[in-house]
Amino acid sequence: MNQTMDRRRLLATAALGGVVGATGLGSLAPEAAFAAEPATIEPGAPDPNFAEGRISRISGSMLLVTGSDTVLHSIRITDGTSIWKLHPTTFDRVVVGDGLYARGVRLPDGTLAADSVWVNIVNLHGHIAAVGRNVLHLDHQGRRIVAHVVPDRSAAVYNGTPAVSDLSLLRVGRHVQVLGAWHPDTNEIDIATVYAAA
Amino acid sequence: MIDLIAALQPLVVGAVLIWSARVKLVSRHAAAAANRSALVRLVGQRRALPAYRLLGGVEVTVGALLLLPPARPAEALAATGLAVTFLAYLAYARRAAPTSSCGCLSARATPVSGRSLARAGLLVAAGALALPAADGWPTTLAERPVAGGAVLLAELAAVVALSPELDHVWLLPLRRLRARLTHPLRGGSGVPLLATVQQLQLSEAYRQVAPLLRSDVREHWDEGDWRFVGHAARYHGRPVTAVFAVPLAGSEPETVRVAVVDDATGHTLLSLAGTPPASGPRLSVVPA
Repeated sequence: MNQTMDRRRLLATAALGGVVGATGLGSLAPEAAFAAEPATIEPGAPDPNFAEGRISRISGSMLLVTGSDTVLHSIRITDGTSIWKLHPTTFDRVVVGDGLYARGVRLPDGTLAADSVWVNIVNLHGHIAAVGRNVLHLDHQGRRIVAHVVPDRSAAVYNGTPAVSDLSLLRVGRHVQVLGAWHPDTNEIDIATVYAAA
Repeated sequence: MIDLIAALQPLVVGAVLIWSARVKLVSRHAAAAANRSALVRLVGQRRALPAYRLLGGVEVTVGALLLLPPARPAEALAATGLAVTFLAYLAYARRAAPTSSCGCLSARATPVSGRSLARAGLLVAAGALALPAADGWPTTLAERPVAGGAVLLAELAAVVALSPELDHVWLLPLRRLRARLTHPLRGGSGVPLLATVQQLQLSEAYRQVAPLLRSDVREHWDEGDWRFVGHAARYHGRPVTAVFAVPLAGSEPETVRVAVVDDATGHTLLSLAGTPPASGPRLSVVPA
């Protein structure tokens, strides 16, 4: 805990501290950064640096994932991997049975060294069929989805304006788009962001 | 009482059938409704609309026969047969084409649900009840208007309650009213992370360092008036952390600051302060 606090203090001081600006380390121009990573993906071919599926095993920092096309992926979680599960979280919150999208770098042994992992992420459109205490019942292609509002996490974007925590402008019968985290093997999700007209 | 109910069933079934035929025969959206229905699966895309129209024709004929005197058991038998066919079709649609629309009482896309099946079941029961009816419904209704009216009202309410197509007329307004009275979604407070990320992504600081970033948001924390957001990044081959300082209140992307800190040594390799908003006269563009 203390280590985290010290690290955060260091980072905060760096961000708010003096301007280092142009360093002796080289250019910040986008061309310089992109030049290191030429696009290697053939049009129409699957992106080698992406994987999706359900986690079938976790061993150490490796995730064994079965893709929806039954392809098996080995995904390595590194110190620099960001893990999203409704919000930015840590590796210990990832469990077997979770679904995921991962983006990273494919290593020569076929492992994907993940830069970012989004666990159980869903993105769906629907109509609000009913509203309960901190819950939306959505009609999504003829199926009922129960979308839970998570206090202090769920956000709403109305008419494309900046996100707010107030979801009370959502109306029964209206169309919404919801980004959220699925509860595996159920029709329930936790809402990360709901996009709506108001 | 049974006599009364039996005598009124032709009116109920006939009204529902004619209402149902209306969508299939005169609605402008009949073609779309036919294409969304499981008829496409059953008889093919080309024959779906003619089959839909034909069904409408059968419905309006049987409905009219039921409504118009005299009352004959054969009419009730035909109506029961039709209702059994509906029930079988809906059960098939639910199994074979679960994403198809019912196409029953309205051109609205309405998936086949348990309620649609229950409504078809109700029609089967009503048709069967009408079989032993001795009198026509106008005579019965004239003799016992209050009891007859109550039975009709109850059946109408049952049909409406079992029709998902009609939810927008009564159920959604009721739910809207309940939400207005109880405010079930109130209570959200604080600045959501997404608001910070949106502000961050509009900033000059983000534009400058975006090519270095490798990960999504890894961590975030609040300190005073600032929210700090950390991304993993690479800078000249070294693993670094790009930490953005974003003002918590308001939306001022120009004040976002960033530092790139070496993960191994903790040294700040780069930091950019927010650029103040441009001063001086601005060109205002007025649409012609």
